[in-house]
Amino acid sequence: MSITGLVIHAAPKNAATVQAAIEALDGAEVHKVTEDGRLVVTVDHPDDNEAAQVFESFKTIAGVLSTSLVYTHFEEDHGEGEHVS
Amino acid sequence: MSISRRDFIKTQAALAAATAAGTTLTGAKVAEAASHDDDIRWDKGACRFCGTGCGVLVGTKQGRIVATQGDPDAPVNKGLNCIKGYFLSKIMYGKDRLTKPLLRKTNGVYDKEGDFEEVSWDEAFDVMAEKWKEALKKKGPTSVGMFGSGQWTLWEGYAASKLMKGGFRTNNIDPNARHCMASAVGGFMRAFGIDEPMGCYDDLEHADAFVLWGANMAEMHPILWSRLTDTRLTKPGCEVHVLSTFEHRCFDLADNGMVFTPQTDLAILNYIANYIIENKAYNQEFIDKHVNFNATTTDIGYGLRPEHPLQKAAKNPNKGKFHKVSFDEYAAMVSEYTLEKASEMSGVPADKLERLAKVYADPNKKVTSYWTMGFNQHTRGVWVNGLLYNVHLLMGKISEPGNSPFSLTGQPSACGTAREVGTFAHRLPADLVVMKEAHRDFAEKTWNLPKGTIPPKPGYHAVLQNRMLKDGKLNAYWVQCNNNMQAAANMNEEGYPGYRNPENFIAVSDPYPTVTAMAADLILPTAMWMEKEGAYGNAERRTQFWRQQVDAPGEAKSDVWQVVEFSKRFKVEEVWPEELLALKPEHRGKTLYEVLFRNGHTDKFPLQEITDNAGNVYNNSESKDFGFYLQKGLFEEYREFQWNGPKKGHEMAPFEAYHNARGLRWPVLDGKETLWRFREGYDKHVEAGKDVQFYGKPDGRAAIIFAPYEPPAESPDDEFNLWLSTGRVLEHWHSGSMTRRVPELYRAYPDAKLYMHPDDAKERHLKRGQEVKVQTRRGEVTTRVETRGRNKPPRGLVFMPWFDAGQLVNKLTLDATDPLSKETDYKKCACRVVRA
Repeated sequence: MSITGLVIHAAPKNAATVQAAIEALDGAEVHKVTEDGRLVVTVDHPDDNEAAQVFESFKTIAGVLSTSLVYTHFEEDHGEGEHVS
Repeated sequence: MSISRRDFIKTQAALAAATAAGTTLTGAKVAEAASHDDDIRWDKGACRFCGTGCGVLVGTKQGRIVATQGDPDAPVNKGLNCIKGYFLSKIMYGKDRLTKPLLRKTNGVYDKEGDFEEVSWDEAFDVMAEKWKEALKKKGPTSVGMFGSGQWTLWEGYAASKLMKGGFRTNNIDPNARHCMASAVGGFMRAFGIDEPMGCYDDLEHADAFVLWGANMAEMHPILWSRLTDTRLTKPGCEVHVLSTFEHRCFDLADNGMVFTPQTDLAILNYIANYIIENKAYNQEFIDKHVNFNATTTDIGYGLRPEHPLQKAAKNPNKGKFHKVSFDEYAAMVSEYTLEKASEMSGVPADKLERLAKVYADPNKKVTSYWTMGFNQHTRGVWVNGLLYNVHLLMGKISEPGNSPFSLTGQPSACGTAREVGTFAHRLPADLVVMKEAHRDFAEKTWNLPKGTIPPKPGYHAVLQNRMLKDGKLNAYWVQCNNNMQAAANMNEEGYPGYRNPENFIAVSDPYPTVTAMAADLILPTAMWMEKEGAYGNAERRTQFWRQQVDAPGEAKSDVWQVVEFSKRFKVEEVWPEELLALKPEHRGKTLYEVLFRNGHTDKFPLQEITDNAGNVYNNSESKDFGFYLQKGLFEEYREFQWNGPKKGHEMAPFEAYHNARGLRWPVLDGKETLWRFREGYDKHVEAGKDVQFYGKPDGRAAIIFAPYEPPAESPDDEFNLWLSTGRVLEHWHSGSMTRRVPELYRAYPDAKLYMHPDDAKERHLKRGQEVKVQTRRGEVTTRVETRGRNKPPRGLVFMPWFDAGQLVNKLTLDATDPLSKETDYKKCACRVVRA
């Protein structure tokens, strides 16, 4: 299982349609869209292969200028236990 | 309140992404995630893949790397990573990771025709040392050699070079950077007398126009491409010009995309110079003060074996001499390259070429040019590098923010290790060369070796090593940190017969059973990346360090451990002649280990606890084994070459500085890095009042060197009627030996395919996805046709990536090299495509 944080850059005028396209993908979530067209995205998928397919899909979304990876976490066991702060 | 661990990690991921996007997130989860200390230990590192040199934060938990993050404090990537970063934490954990030495044996003893069996390190090195001693005794130092890498850490390359040149007295050491950067090095040395770019990545924000010459940055340097994209989209009037022999992803952003006939970049660049001169756009003051004009020797052959007809036909094979000419003579030479001629030769419409020329010729536009393998893997690679410098130098558009001819690199330490510490067959540390007595003298003095230890003749370069293996002249051979059986051209006729020649013993050090490892006689399991303390030098002269984050699996050992440990097996009497030893009798009876490493100098830094600023403690496996701080000793000794040697300009900061900084760009003078070299105000080596000083040259002037168009070694004809170009794809890094082991990456781009123009496919009655044979005069490979997708070749050219060990494209390529840089041209040979 992997959890990944990404920044996807789109022209501001296309940001809304890009956001919709991203959110339609399994495991992808848009946390914020900045005024200059940067989307804060996470991909959380139980299957690493499918997560990688989601990254592939980003490239094919019309209006996406670049996809950058920021944070990746792989762990065999998370999702099981609870985190208590 | 509690949230699930998964939510927590996801929030961390979102927070990190938000920071990198220059924004913030709010909410209860965010506040909680931000305030919580996870049990992951984070430390800074540098990415394992390309030459960009992105900073990554490496997250370790219970001795295993579980997370990575673009380092928000890293100036190169400002918190971003490319998609390959997804796999960084996985490349060490492939299922077929090697953990024990493997030796070919039959009935319990070494046999070249035997099968691989697990052996101890002792047995592995015993057999290997015996083979090396046998070769040395029979044929002398030229019969042993090593093939290294731009992925070696600085000290790995330094130690290997020292052992080969100073210990075994052979210059037969060369890095795989020969396949990738050698032409760039040749271009730098001829024009400026000192290696590596004058500019830096800051040019990405300063330039008004970018020109890509044979570089697919969108796929190969995505982080630099995202910085370039930002500038293009936010700076009014910014333009992007892209030149390539086929259309690729960079064309999506191009204002002026140009597909040219292979090899005609030589003509296009001369046309631009001609345009600048005809329109009197050149910077007269800059030319008068800072350059001189030259013309190079022509008709120099194709770096093939001497008996090859193309070599025999050349008038001046391998000649690199250039001679001074006047400005008028230079102008007359380029005048032949008119717009009409350049357009006709290249197939690029005249208006596009003229638009490009105008950008360079406009004194008010700051232009940064980028290139990678399109220029370097070229039978006239050194020339074409030089022709681009000519254009920048005519305009004085160099060595200042935004005006930058910039050679990108493909490996994380092609600059730092392959070039800077002296792992090329002709080089010594810090830009010194074996051909110069003063340079050898300095190296021998620094290494406390008798005068005459280092041979003056350059050793076998990469391509020659394979030829000499085949011819039985190079017999004991060690490959570290690269996959050259897959990477080198003409594997059928040169590479494979060389490795399997019964006269030879081949050892390969690798974390994985690569094509090269499987062709060897001995495989040494190797620690990689964060399993050792390391340092890389990226394309903008930035040196970056990291601490050992985790231990290597099983008995895997780092390359530097292997080199130093192997040196223990040789008494100096076994490798040096008596007359040499007589000059330093104190070395009598010692091992090469005692002469080169455990010598009171290289080992002067004692073992110490390695900690970061937060107090976390890190292992250092090599230092523990040898009993002294090996990496620091090697680096500080290397600094003696920089600070006390005969060539200035490569100075680095003390060892500790790099464990704190996010890398520093050399020369580091008075504790400050240098962003733009050769210009007063930026570079402290420039004398006051000089404005610009190309101090690599004795007269302080850069060399504009005319070189004409000359045809490639092989062009399509009736029998083999297509151009074949090879290259890389985003998902796989180089030969795929790491990235193909990550299941997701493998699935994203499982097998190589042949990119072809739909009309070329139709003409051959081929359909998309159909199985085909690609044939050249040297071999054939079966693959599938792709007529759509990211690469769009023009008619008459096909492109095939080389990462796939199941489709070895280098069975097809010709081992024609640039006669000056000895770098192979992987971009041009003739092929045909038929149904399988």
